[in-house]
Amino acid sequence: MAEYFFELLTEEIPAWMHTAAQATLLQQLTKLTQDLGEPPDDRNPVVVNSTPRRIIFFLSRIPLRESDREEEVKGPPVKAAYDAEGKPTQALNGFLKKNNATIDDVIAGGDYIRVKRTIKGRSAGEILQERVPQIIESLRWPKMMRWGKGEHSYIRPIHSVVSVLGGEHLPITIFDIPSGATTRGHRTLAPQLIDVLSYNDYVTKLELARVVINADRRRQVMAERARVLGQQAGGTPSVDASIWSQWQYLTEYPGVVRAEFGREYLSLPDEVLVTVMRVHQKQLPIRTADGRLTSSFLAVLDNDADRDGNAAYGNSFVTNARFADAKFFYETDRKRTLESRLEQLEHLQFQEKLGNYRDKTRRIEQISAAISDDADTLAAARLCKTDLPTEMVKEFTDLQGKIGGIYAREEGLPENTWQAIYDHYLPANIDDALPRTRSGAVISLADKIDTLAGFFRIGAKPTGSKDPFALRRAAQGIVQILLNRDKRSVKIGIDKLIGIALAAHQQLSNQATPQPKDDLLAFFAERVRTILEASAYGFAYDEIAAAMEAGWASSLTDLVDRITALKAMRNEPNFLSILDSAKRIANITSGQESAARVDPSKFESDTERRLAKLVPLMSDQVDEMIGERDYKLALETFAAMAPELETFFDEVMVMVEDEGVRRNRMALLRTVGNAVMKIADVTKIVVDRREYRA
Amino acid sequence: MPRLAFQDLILRLQNFWAERGCMIETPLDLEVGAGTMHPATFLRVLGPEPWNVGYVQPSRRPADGRYGDNPFRLGKHYQFQVILKPSPLDVQELYLDSLRALGLDLTRHDIRFEEDNWESPTLGAWGVGWQILLDGMEITQFTYFQQAGGIDLAPISAEITYGLERLTMFLSRQPSVYDIEWGAGFGYGPVRKQDEYEFSKYYFEVANVALHWNLFEEYEKEARSCLEAKLVLPAYDWTLKCSHVFNTLDARGAVSVTERVGIIKRVRELAVACAHQYLASREALGFPLLKASNG
Repeated sequence: MAEYFFELLTEEIPAWMHTAAQATLLQQLTKLTQDLGEPPDDRNPVVVNSTPRRIIFFLSRIPLRESDREEEVKGPPVKAAYDAEGKPTQALNGFLKKNNATIDDVIAGGDYIRVKRTIKGRSAGEILQERVPQIIESLRWPKMMRWGKGEHSYIRPIHSVVSVLGGEHLPITIFDIPSGATTRGHRTLAPQLIDVLSYNDYVTKLELARVVINADRRRQVMAERARVLGQQAGGTPSVDASIWSQWQYLTEYPGVVRAEFGREYLSLPDEVLVTVMRVHQKQLPIRTADGRLTSSFLAVLDNDADRDGNAAYGNSFVTNARFADAKFFYETDRKRTLESRLEQLEHLQFQEKLGNYRDKTRRIEQISAAISDDADTLAAARLCKTDLPTEMVKEFTDLQGKIGGIYAREEGLPENTWQAIYDHYLPANIDDALPRTRSGAVISLADKIDTLAGFFRIGAKPTGSKDPFALRRAAQGIVQILLNRDKRSVKIGIDKLIGIALAAHQQLSNQATPQPKDDLLAFFAERVRTILEASAYGFAYDEIAAAMEAGWASSLTDLVDRITALKAMRNEPNFLSILDSAKRIANITSGQESAARVDPSKFESDTERRLAKLVPLMSDQVDEMIGERDYKLALETFAAMAPELETFFDEVMVMVEDEGVRRNRMALLRTVGNAVMKIADVTKIVVDRREYRA
Repeated sequence: MPRLAFQDLILRLQNFWAERGCMIETPLDLEVGAGTMHPATFLRVLGPEPWNVGYVQPSRRPADGRYGDNPFRLGKHYQFQVILKPSPLDVQELYLDSLRALGLDLTRHDIRFEEDNWESPTLGAWGVGWQILLDGMEITQFTYFQQAGGIDLAPISAEITYGLERLTMFLSRQPSVYDIEWGAGFGYGPVRKQDEYEFSKYYFEVANVALHWNLFEEYEKEARSCLEAKLVLPAYDWTLKCSHVFNTLDARGAVSVTERVGIIKRVRELAVACAHQYLASREALGFPLLKASNG
């Protein structure tokens, strides 16, 4: 057994790319060690690390060589291998010679001559020399670049390669750069060359040269430092995973610096201060125990300490400059009301064929009014886009909606109104919170369905991976809101929502363009399926498909109830009865004409008379339970019909010559089938029957 | 901490890069938004000819004007631009040495290279690189050019753009750009504040919109005639003029969103045509700088 380690020294790799690259590398290296013959066990011998400038991996124990393996080699056809007297032909002799085998080695049977050949395992060094460059060079990065002569494409230019196997340099080449057993320390603090002999040696020497190779350790060091600095500033740094995951890949030698901004900026809305710090400056605000922002904040430092206070000065300088701009924008914006900005929206285009934001606002108002008659909600609908022409939103686009909400609050508008404006972009992605009020949910729905209806009307629906207007996310947001059942819930079906939005477009554009209702429904159906499958409910694909077949567009919560019942029933023994009954009915009635209604005079046997008497009882019961939304009980009631149906199928011939009788029986069976079809098309459920035995 | 004046930075950077094999070019004598638009960058990065150059470029961004009121924002600022083609492998080290030449002890400061890619829709150009942060403040844009005028580049040029006012403010610990010293005892404020005010007022309030629309049309026509006459360098001059007229109209609030997209597209078409014609013209000349460097 030997150890191998590798380092790729590059120019600074974007912080957000490290995690995915490490995961890919880990997966490929694990496969490599398995191919090398490392028996899989709990201790993964692969360690992957990275810093802004380095990709590092360590294989703690690999066999010195692959084990030998045997392989079968196919030769000439048996017919051609022996002559009439049964002696080996030239063809056979040649084949044997080539494979270093004798006639005794030939494996009996088959149409072709075959012999076994032993393949000597290659040394670990040979394999690493072949595979490591492949793995590294083929790593896919989200945005590649070329440099120098422009021959190679990679995330950033490569400077040096370390490749050491069992204490010795193992020569490899990455993009024409030959490896060595030498690296460099921190770019400015310890840039000297360093010889490295083993992984431990490497880790220790780099640490002395101001490089901590483990990202988690860099994060821990910074987190501890941040905590102490926060305490000194009389507060706690915001918990912010996205900042931490960036910081740990922005430093080789982890540190944090505390800086101050001018207290006069504390009068700006918190959201603005926090956005400037977090999004624009990658800094962490510090809050007091009661949640107030302090004028101190933290910034990342690629050094253990800011000895001369330079970084504190620089960070304060740049943050004050940003805040000065923000304050100017804020004060300029506050000189006019949101209401007065409605006319500004006429000059702000939404989409060439869909008009300006004033047009969009009119549609949002109309759609909201069809969902809600609450005055506060409708006030929010009217003003929700008026922050777009503000200086603040032009500068901090991520704050759209929020800025409008803040200004509405400062203007003294009702809480329900300003919160709805503030929240109406939510949820922008699957992990986002929903708007905090029902009013917010209504505005969000209206805004999103207006966008969807508009783009579908002009034929700009997403194709493949192309979705420049984020229509999938808009549809997803609508689905998320409609699935919600708490006090914010909006009880409207997607079909109705689409109808309202298309009507709003039609009315305000005066254009008779084709109505893309079916396209929109299909688009939504796809989103509903995706979201339900990925959701915490744990629904299976076929359960969702079966229930959606019985309808989904009029109520998503009802759909969820039906899938839930289906899922619960699925684990019970009589589920097979439901399934078998439904499938038999579906098979036999498929493509057949049936009578408009069941005619008792056409019955011929007692069995079918008995069934016919039971069916309306069952059907009524099922309907009643569906009315009460007790879908599980409804399904159980249906299941209870199974023995009767079985007798019916055993004793009654459905496909008889007499058309009247046949159609009558079809009608009877359809009545039974239809009872359950209101909940789900259970024939879409795929079952493994073994699960139901025992 | 070195207390450098604005002109000290210019002089030191020029000397530094001249010593490292750069030709020192002079600023383009037209209004441009950035040093990248100087033909010494936009055209020279095309094709196989080597090119190492450094120059100051006054950069006009009408919409950034603040009437001389904002201590950080200027309608015209000065960039020091360096192009190294092909990009040498030690280009980052060279850059750090240039900071050392300004008197910075980099063991006492925080230097970070954070991803920041560059794209210019009007030039049909993009590149990959970083913003370089000194103690948390952006002082330089660093870009490996990948495409210009819609043409894939090889060799690749490294572009280093220093923001000279920012850097001087920071090095001299001045909280306002108007407080820095230009040189020889002249202050940046007394020298520049009047033109910041006047040009802000002009671009935001006074510029004749009809005239500028007309200029745009005429400049564009002229660029096209030059292209037809196979005079790519004059054609490029007129393209830059179109670009500045557009920036003026934009600052004046005279460009709607729809118009904006259309105008950018028209300027890009000119820039792309210039890039292609320039490359062809250099090829016709047998890529003179290639021979010079070989000889």
